[in-house]
Amino acid sequence: MSALRIVLIGYGPVGARFVEELLPSVRNGSVELTVVAGENVEAYNRVLVAEYAVGNTDLDAMLVGDRETAEEAGARVLLGVAATSIDRAAKVVRLGSGEELPYDRLVLATGSRANVPTLDGVERHRRDLASLEKYGSSLVARDDDLPEGITALRDLADAERVLEAVRDRRRIIVLGAGVLGLELALAAAHAGAQVCVVHHGPHPMPRNLDRGGGQVLRAALRRTGITVIAHSRAEAVAYRTDDDGTRRFDMLVTADGKQLRGDLLVLSCGVSPRTELATLAGLRTGVGVVVHPDLRSWTDPSIFAIGDCAQVVERTEELAGQRVLPGAPSGLIGPGWRQADWLAGALTAEAELIVAADGDDGAGSSDRSPAAAPAERESIVMLKAEHIDVVAVGDVTADPWDDDALYPRRRVSQWADPEHLRYVKMVTDDGALTGFVSVGMPRTAAELTLLFERRGELPADRSLLLRFDGPDYDPAADADAFAPTTTVCWCNGVTVGRIEESAACGNTTVECVGRDTRAGTGCGGCKGRIAEVLSRAAEPDGTPTLTA
Amino acid sequence: MSRPADSHCPYCALQCAMTLTPTDAAADAAAPAVAPVTVAGRDFPTNRGGLCKKGWTSAELLRAPSRLGAPLVRGADGAFHETSWDEALDLVAASLRGIRSAHGADAVGVFGGGGLTNEKAYLLGKFARLALGTSRIDYNGRYCMSSAAAAGNRAFGVDRGLPFPLEDLDGASTILLLGTNVAETMPPFIGHLAGAQAAGGLVVVDPRRTATVRLTDDGRGLHVQPAPGTDLALLLGLIHVVIAERLVDDEYVAARTVGFDRLRRSVASWWPERVQSVTGVAAWTLRRLARRLASGEGTYILTGRGVEQHVDGTDTATAAINLALLLGLPGRAGSGYGTLTGQGNGQGGREHGQKCDQLPGYRKIVDPEARAHVARVWGVDPDVIPGPGVPAVELLQSLGQPGGVRALMVHGSNLVVSSPNVDAVRASIERLDLLVVCDFFLSETAAIADVVLPITQWAEEEGTMTSLEGRVIRRRRAITPPAGVRDELWILAELARRLECTAAFDTDPEQVFEELRLASEGGIADYSGIDYAMLDRGEAAFWPYPRGSSGTPRLFIERFAHPDGLARLIPVSVRESARPRPADDEVTLVTGRLLEHYQSGAQTRRVPELLDAQPEALASMHPATADRLGIADGDEIGVANHRGTVRVRARLTPDIRPDAVFIPFHYGDEQAANLLTSDAVDPISSMPEFKTNVVRVTRLTEAGVPA
Repeated sequence: MSALRIVLIGYGPVGARFVEELLPSVRNGSVELTVVAGENVEAYNRVLVAEYAVGNTDLDAMLVGDRETAEEAGARVLLGVAATSIDRAAKVVRLGSGEELPYDRLVLATGSRANVPTLDGVERHRRDLASLEKYGSSLVARDDDLPEGITALRDLADAERVLEAVRDRRRIIVLGAGVLGLELALAAAHAGAQVCVVHHGPHPMPRNLDRGGGQVLRAALRRTGITVIAHSRAEAVAYRTDDDGTRRFDMLVTADGKQLRGDLLVLSCGVSPRTELATLAGLRTGVGVVVHPDLRSWTDPSIFAIGDCAQVVERTEELAGQRVLPGAPSGLIGPGWRQADWLAGALTAEAELIVAADGDDGAGSSDRSPAAAPAERESIVMLKAEHIDVVAVGDVTADPWDDDALYPRRRVSQWADPEHLRYVKMVTDDGALTGFVSVGMPRTAAELTLLFERRGELPADRSLLLRFDGPDYDPAADADAFAPTTTVCWCNGVTVGRIEESAACGNTTVECVGRDTRAGTGCGGCKGRIAEVLSRAAEPDGTPTLTA
Repeated sequence: MSRPADSHCPYCALQCAMTLTPTDAAADAAAPAVAPVTVAGRDFPTNRGGLCKKGWTSAELLRAPSRLGAPLVRGADGAFHETSWDEALDLVAASLRGIRSAHGADAVGVFGGGGLTNEKAYLLGKFARLALGTSRIDYNGRYCMSSAAAAGNRAFGVDRGLPFPLEDLDGASTILLLGTNVAETMPPFIGHLAGAQAAGGLVVVDPRRTATVRLTDDGRGLHVQPAPGTDLALLLGLIHVVIAERLVDDEYVAARTVGFDRLRRSVASWWPERVQSVTGVAAWTLRRLARRLASGEGTYILTGRGVEQHVDGTDTATAAINLALLLGLPGRAGSGYGTLTGQGNGQGGREHGQKCDQLPGYRKIVDPEARAHVARVWGVDPDVIPGPGVPAVELLQSLGQPGGVRALMVHGSNLVVSSPNVDAVRASIERLDLLVVCDFFLSETAAIADVVLPITQWAEEEGTMTSLEGRVIRRRRAITPPAGVRDELWILAELARRLECTAAFDTDPEQVFEELRLASEGGIADYSGIDYAMLDRGEAAFWPYPRGSSGTPRLFIERFAHPDGLARLIPVSVRESARPRPADDEVTLVTGRLLEHYQSGAQTRRVPELLDAQPEALASMHPATADRLGIADGDEIGVANHRGTVRVRARLTPDIRPDAVFIPFHYGDEQAANLLTSDAVDPISSMPEFKTNVVRVTRLTEAGVPA
């Protein structure tokens, strides 16, 4: 019996999920799994890095991979060891330790690294093929070393740097107003740091929000004490020298000449897939490692990519000749997990076929192509923050009064209340939600999220969805406490009307009413309410009820 | 005229104390339709003298015109004929003997109920194992408590619904109710929520805005309204927040539990925003709730059928327990976790041998020591006791199948209303050679039986019940039963005698209880220190109550019931494939209960006042959904899926989520909600899926066809 040898490079949340799903096959011996983890920590949930960076949570609470269980099942997990190259002809992965790992299937889950923008005063590496060939493995799996006082926010070391600044209530400048940058800014401000957000767009989260949503968000950010500087392209950084001789960040200079002083500059300018191993191995890469919808490399059918490093593109003759390919990794965890699940399933099936063939060298028949992984819909973006609620998805640029012949069934509804920092826009096509923005309306956002996920149809009266967030939210038709049909005694199902009737028959005390109608004879909690109903009934000109 | 009797309500597990005072009609058996007793609430820690509408009207069933007064045997003409008891029992015994000799002992099955007294439940289990020699016994508690029971057993090593007296809730500042509508199902219970309400801390998780949810209005608490079937994700999110925000009671977790590390990893991927996209509950609601639960000023977490009656019900209840353990609630004064048992004797009924895998005292039937102990009490060789049988749904599916059950005895259960996938159950029953039903009335199930045996009601019999608090209480006889009805203890003894079983089948409840004490001694649910005399003195008796002890009002103070004394934190996860997602034109059916009716409605639909208040099943749906489907309030609608069609009228209310429709399951025939429910079961507890079935709703024309 020949087990299918799978090597996984990368043990982030997506890699960990892949491992977890593959464990049954590892246990039954049909798969031999080796994980090259890179970082010297177990898989953790990167979604929570901003929380960690402001001291809101501990590393323990972020761990997702269960290495112990994986090892018990028979998987080999190499922490703190990096892969340096892939020899596709020999089908081996070379490690920094000098070890060579042979594979039948190689899965890349190398994730992405934070972008370092072009700034005068900050060096950064190029990772094109020529540079990689020149500097070799020194660039593989390594991130740029940033000067003191400047950090990205991607891994735990970055988070530690931010945490220190937050603890000391330093002045933090966040460059970039995407989700991650804003989450950090809000959490740091909440934790007591002074925060300034600098970005070059017209409003925060320009990729996700329309103008209205963006403006409301900006106002909300300002109200939390964060300084927001829009329309500003960062151009250079300047340094100062500390007493101990360390050269550290001093100020950020923008193209229009603003000089922004701070103690820490956090670069939040998006991420790029870590593709250098693939590039060096001669695999086709674009933004990420280019794979078919079945997650298999365009170049090598034994190699797969999942998560943040994978760029899924359906190969066509036309596209194959182009230099720039469409699409990009979503950068979100949900799609990565779904890819991990799906690929683990496909490889499990393949491994079982090999075992069934018993000795037949099925591992070579790599042209057996499983169906494509499920196509991803646009992912919902949520800003995780304590006091500001922003959720958005899809194309939300359309206006209610647009008349676009291309989208005859498209409808846009909108609610804007900037003074109270509330804004909702819903875009539907034939009644089903295709995109929305919600700022400052958490319950509405939650319902819209669910409707989008389930592809549900919106109620014809869209305002129904807004009411969830009203302070007077009470969907009951009989909200009037003294309407005749309002139940007073739940134990016995006695209504206001029934008590009034009883009172009219001469039962004018709570006890009498109880004997007559059983109201108040259960838990007794409604006796006060019965007395109220009775006193109203006793008033000759009792205030008329809304329904009577 | 005889003296008043102190007893308890015949319905739910709250077992409200009542005093039954015989009236003049009691002496006159011929007085038709006049209640022979009056009912009055009696002061007791649970109900404090109060009763709900069901309790107040309970006496009306004693002389209800439809009450059965003689055994019925279906004749060759297909109709029922009244017979004598001897004739009926001879016939049943002969048929059972014949089926048994032709097809083996397991061809006879027994289906019990959570409403039977402890004595009846105990004796029914003994009857099945010894007189019938069958392993095929299970009961309707499988449809209520099995998921919570399985979760409690694996986490705590014991399953007592509330491991503390109900009054303890009075001092709580936060109570989280998960999937329970106590304001309708056991109304006097809500008196115990007042403290939490006053503290603004009553939190109700329910996809519907129920009567219980209204108790949170006006700043008294919070309603959390997740989409049906997403409770587990919600709980994983709460656990995530509790861990991420360092709200865990570290000292407690270290000292009293095992498994924290794996649990922590299992929830790391359920951050609040992800939970929001699955449940529809806002992330901030989740955070706020987690912080409130951890505020440390007296927190209780209570689950009900809403989160348990699912194909992942055991895991969901386990998640609720994990949450409680992380917060250090179980076994701490003024805090706790519990599950609200539903049926009158749902607690005692799940302890003494009605379950297919169980012997009295909550013993495991596969445990050689347990078998030896019970065999000694029964005076038989341990090998005589059959092994484990199969759980309810599987038992019913086996009816009339090759190797399956061919004769079924039903006690305290109305199968064709309360079972999932009712049409399939009806079809199974039609394949039987013999169906014997013991009931007060010709219930939907009795109506399709071969033999119906009329039995005594609560006011006519002695016995004990074990309430939702794990407290053993006395049911007392106030009046003489009608001449033609018999106690089930007597029926079992008579059948055992006719089946030539040599084991003892006492007919005196007190003597049966004495035997139960011995059989339960040393077991998990140990009743050996309890006797009728002390109960009659009004002593509070909470099990485990070993001989010579003073019982256990509060469990877990010092240790949990696993051998090492520690509770288990068991990681659970959401199975995406657990339930089908509704398509665009479908909604999720949620089933549940009404104030006026109890269980299958076999009793309450025969009380005029209750029936007048809720004469028919109404399907609650959101006006927005109704509008989309062209349905107006009161329209006749069909609610259908591949299992069947329910025909009811629509009731439009914003109290339900637009993606769901609610139908109470108390009604029979074409209004039976369980025509639509799936008999897919939880892999651990065998609980069916009652709460999230996918259906299509259409308006019907006057001719009853889709418009």
